[in-house]
Amino acid sequence: MTHPNSSSGDARDDHTGRFVVQPNGHRTPLSPHMEVWRWHVTMTASILFRATIIAASVGMVILTGWLAALAFGPDVYGCVLDCAASPLGLIVGFGLTVVLFSFILNGGRHLTNDTGAGLTLKSATLLSNIAVWAPVPLAVLFWVVLFATGRVSL
Amino acid sequence: MSGAAKFKNNVKISERHGASEWATERVALLILMPLGVWLASTAFTLAGASYETVMAWFANGLNAVLLGLTAVVFFGFASLAWKVIIEDYIHKPGTKAALIVLLNLICLVLAAASVFFITRLALGSAPLPAGFGA
Repeated sequence: MTHPNSSSGDARDDHTGRFVVQPNGHRTPLSPHMEVWRWHVTMTASILFRATIIAASVGMVILTGWLAALAFGPDVYGCVLDCAASPLGLIVGFGLTVVLFSFILNGGRHLTNDTGAGLTLKSATLLSNIAVWAPVPLAVLFWVVLFATGRVSL
Repeated sequence: MSGAAKFKNNVKISERHGASEWATERVALLILMPLGVWLASTAFTLAGASYETVMAWFANGLNAVLLGLTAVVFFGFASLAWKVIIEDYIHKPGTKAALIVLLNLICLVLAAASVFFITRLALGSAPLPAGFGA
């Protein structure tokens, strides 16, 4: 793995801040160390994608349960509908929409980076920020419209 | 797995099946992107919908096919993604192998169950357990 931003090898081109000025005035890269590193949003996006896949798996099991309820007829489906309309059901439903939007946006980030694109410091940070934060406002918007159009009510 | 390492475009070719699994996982994820957007719009359409409305939705063959595709591709993707998770955290060979077999079994059952239910719903079959013993 080569760092996309340090290909010039010139410390002055570095914007990561991972360089230190030595007592003799030389600028050298900060040595990697178990405890000396900074958190970056790309790490959050990366670990969140794994969490999202786990949550999405739970979501797809719930979807399979929904299919089973439908296949077992109106009575069973009615029970599922009541559960979904309960406060806990609505919270789970909101969570699942966050997970779905997170899966799409973070999956898009992952696929983009897999092709080798979007790996400069600036674009990687932007893609990660979108993948980490955008699912929540999108899910809120989704549910606001659901309630506003009367498809779901308390 | 012995012998000289093979190279393609100066990149070492995987000695086992890791590379194809990685590529399959990406292709599955790529297919799931548009299906995910479609699933979001579907969730919006069917949120709180009555049994009759949902059955009418399933009567449309395109909806049934797309939902079946989503389930099959997702559980295929999940089996590969969870395999990586298991390999990252479980290092005891026996436990690891057993968990991966269990994982594949669960994914297979879930995919098959989804397709089974979707097919029945799309065909407008009588509610279960019709014809299944009860």
